[in-house]
Amino acid sequence: MRLLSILAFCLLLTSCSRPEPIHNTQSYVFGTLVDITIYGETEEVAQELSGEIIRDFQELHNRLHAWRASEINTLNIAFKRNNLPATVRPDVAAIISDATALSIQSKGAFNPAIGALINYWGFQSDELKPVQIDDLKIKELLSHNPQMIDISIKNGKAASTNPHVQLDLGGYVKGFALDSALQTLRQHGVRNALINVGGNIIALGQHGDKPWRVGIQHPRKPSAIATLDLESGWSIGTSGDYQRYFILKDKRYCHIIDPATGYPVTGVQAVTVLIPPQANAGTLSDVASKPIFIAQPNLRAEVAKEMNVENFMVIESDVKIITSSAMAKRITWTDVATAKYVTQIQL
Amino acid sequence: MLRKFNFNFTKNLFRQHPKPLAGDWLILLIGLISVIWMFQQFWQTAPASQFKIRQGNHIVGIFDLNQTRDLSIKGARGESHISIENGKVRFKKSPCNNQYCVHQGWLNRAGQVAICLPNQISLQLLGAKSAYDSLNY
Repeated sequence: MRLLSILAFCLLLTSCSRPEPIHNTQSYVFGTLVDITIYGETEEVAQELSGEIIRDFQELHNRLHAWRASEINTLNIAFKRNNLPATVRPDVAAIISDATALSIQSKGAFNPAIGALINYWGFQSDELKPVQIDDLKIKELLSHNPQMIDISIKNGKAASTNPHVQLDLGGYVKGFALDSALQTLRQHGVRNALINVGGNIIALGQHGDKPWRVGIQHPRKPSAIATLDLESGWSIGTSGDYQRYFILKDKRYCHIIDPATGYPVTGVQAVTVLIPPQANAGTLSDVASKPIFIAQPNLRAEVAKEMNVENFMVIESDVKIITSSAMAKRITWTDVATAKYVTQIQL
Repeated sequence: MLRKFNFNFTKNLFRQHPKPLAGDWLILLIGLISVIWMFQQFWQTAPASQFKIRQGNHIVGIFDLNQTRDLSIKGARGESHISIENGKVRFKKSPCNNQYCVHQGWLNRAGQVAICLPNQISLQLLGAKSAYDSLNY
């Protein structure tokens, strides 16, 4: 009897020390870090699928690149020259149509047609340098009023009525990549994975017997400000002034430009949105935070509603954080003292 | 004999001090404060003991945090210098324009990450209990 119990105890020990069936792959695509975690599959399957996803991402990146030779770049050149309609492949046409719908929904706050402005501010570059700010030039770029609805697509050809439309899908493609990766994983029968593309994350299944848990980066410290459980199919995205920016005369210029003013948004550090499961959850996690980030502080809740975002958090400053009541229920502050800076708003 | 002594000892202890004295309260208070402090310090994010350096998808190595040492790692752009100093680590120097990685400063908690995108080098702090699986930024 005693021998049996010792044996049972040994078995218990072995089951404890067995390594978790978790596989992590990192790569650099879209000018950012891609991190794929697959749980519950063999090393070979996980490696093969991660490789496939990263190859797909690389292809997407090459085809949609805003300022290097790509299908989008070809369209931009055609728009500028007022040429005959240019050929557009069906999947890119679908992306443009979807981005147009989201641009309309956001009343133009999400506007991927302002590539010229983004370029002017120096954000169409892998590494940023402070630019000479010419208010007149910005006014001029703004006056051309490039809009997504200027583009029309018919029979596989795209044309723009406005030659100043310059597509830059930088605020869309990372989220779109999450959706396509999720689809790939599901097609191959993977049940548990966590995909992170430049900070935008989508979850599939869970991490063993617990949901996937994600940290939300503190905008001014090298640590997480909060954590939350990301349930299967949910996606999270943050727009922040700390990922891509330059500092000129002690002023921070971040990569998110308000299409209404032509200037980088100031006075807010980060906006995080949490999107429930749906076909384009990843895309929405990338896109939906931007209109909230750009909006005037008193209009953020209204804009969130327009974008159908129920769960959001705004870090206005070091001492001012706003969360929707739905979001407040999901997050845990890493530092309990953060709670005193938080205001909850009911949508 | 021994058993009897023990019995008397406990009996005497309670008989002599039926009420807690100031010192007892002090010990209780110190205990409570340290429990609260440790809860805040260690519950959410355990201090890291090791960290992982990656270049691209290649794991350069897993290093102990409890040492003082400078590392030089070859990346896509050139050499990144990484400093380890008794429980913390940081990018000290990197061949990138914006120096976001250097500005990240010291990392010391499990789950913290610093990345140099141009040089494709990442530091990830490891610990017995990381507070999360992935970081949203």
